[in-house]
Amino acid sequence: MTTPFGDHFFRHEYGRLVAMLVRRVGSRHLEAIEDAVQSSLLAAVESWPRSVVPDNPLAWLYRVAHNQLVGELRRGTRRGELAVEHARAAVEPTIEDPFVPLSGDVRDDLLRMLFVCCDDALPRESQLVLALKTLCGFDVREIAERLFMTEANVYKRLGRARARLREVPLQAADLTNAQLVSRLPAVQVILYTLFTEGYLSAHADGAIRRELCAEARRLTEVLAEHPRGRTPPTFALLALMHLHNARMAARQDGSGGLLLLEEQDRSLWDQGEIQVGLWWLARAAEGDVFSRYHAEAGIAAEHCLSPSFGDTRWDRIVECYELLDRVAPSALHTLNRAVAIAEWRGAAHGLALLDGLAPPSWLLGSYQWSAVLSDLHRRAGHVDIAARYRETALESAPSEAIRATLARRLR
Amino acid sequence: MPRYLCLQRNLPGAGAPADKPSPAQMQAMYAKFNDWREKFQESLVDLGGKLGAGRLATAEPAPDGPLVEVKELVGGYMIVSAANLDEAVQIARECPGLVRPGSGVEVIEIHSPG
Repeated sequence: MTTPFGDHFFRHEYGRLVAMLVRRVGSRHLEAIEDAVQSSLLAAVESWPRSVVPDNPLAWLYRVAHNQLVGELRRGTRRGELAVEHARAAVEPTIEDPFVPLSGDVRDDLLRMLFVCCDDALPRESQLVLALKTLCGFDVREIAERLFMTEANVYKRLGRARARLREVPLQAADLTNAQLVSRLPAVQVILYTLFTEGYLSAHADGAIRRELCAEARRLTEVLAEHPRGRTPPTFALLALMHLHNARMAARQDGSGGLLLLEEQDRSLWDQGEIQVGLWWLARAAEGDVFSRYHAEAGIAAEHCLSPSFGDTRWDRIVECYELLDRVAPSALHTLNRAVAIAEWRGAAHGLALLDGLAPPSWLLGSYQWSAVLSDLHRRAGHVDIAARYRETALESAPSEAIRATLARRLR
Repeated sequence: MPRYLCLQRNLPGAGAPADKPSPAQMQAMYAKFNDWREKFQESLVDLGGKLGAGRLATAEPAPDGPLVEVKELVGGYMIVSAANLDEAVQIARECPGLVRPGSGVEVIEIHSPG
């Protein structure tokens, strides 16, 4: 979309303005804040093209939103939700707020909002919904579309999240250092989930997937720049995002179908992104912390550095999966390790690893489980078992693109 | 070239405007308006703006308060120049956001002597 300010100006300014106002007025007024920000952006749409765009658009938008918000809170009649004493306490310090938008402060506000979203009283899905709404500027319909939820579900989650934020006592409106420390892992999980939603999702629209990945990277970069967020797991997370992103374009064929790793044209991998990813991975290695993001970034790096599928150092990848399974135990990681072992030492060894495994029902019913077993059994010469698993895998594929890929892979 | 006054009018009986646009939709609105402005830059004399409260000034004492009709019915104005009324109507019609369900534009020629 052509505007003088870049493709996502309105969405990103929405996130900045909400974060700035939440910092100053308190997250308990989130709904009024979002309304005020919406109005100020709309005022910009109506007035900027008719006259001149202000020299400092963010300061202009902030002033309009702030004025409206203060008026709204002063009236204190927002459907009776503001007790009078709360309204006074919330408003007084913010009136005549002398405002100079320094980019460092704005980044700080964005980051604080991210921590506000990661309130441990909220389920993870709600944290994600809240972050998409307040920090990425998506509306209910757009969030529902991106997370495969119903609009009613998104709406309900937002309502409960705002209700939870209203309960936070006013004195605690600003997060303590202890909260910043204790919520950091949750913030990393949200950013990881946001990225994975974009990268792995079965969403047909490639633009939407790239956009979610870009949002996750944008916010993770903000986290990596901040003294509170500047930790090895954050660097590893950023490495992981860049290394996955490097291979994004090669994952699909011309008609949007998914391509297997061995089918991908490695010349399409983005070498610049790989270098950035490796740089972050090196920074992540400074220190004695090893997180699941380190293991996953390590696996991605092995793939990125391998000149061809046949040259892949499967022993290193198996080792990374072992580490991953140790820091974040999951039967899915064991399944992935079995695939890597099969590539390294043969299908029988891969099957042997899965032999003693009792997978949880969510994995047992997934196409990943059936597909891997079908493939390993076929390669081990167990034709009948392979055919049975193949059928189950095709039945449980969540999208046409995945079904087509499986049908090709599990001949 | 004749000039025309364009008044955005909320059509009688129209309900509240539809859902609030999302930031991404606002971005699209902004871009469309800019495209329209560029296309008709020769014709756009005054892009005007939204209208707010008003008061009637008369020779006799008049009741305080805004002109009810203007406040409720007219949202904004602009002035365009065009060869004729049809052309002016076309410019207004193509303006994004002006002509939509519940809202239209009244295009009125501004007479100039000579």
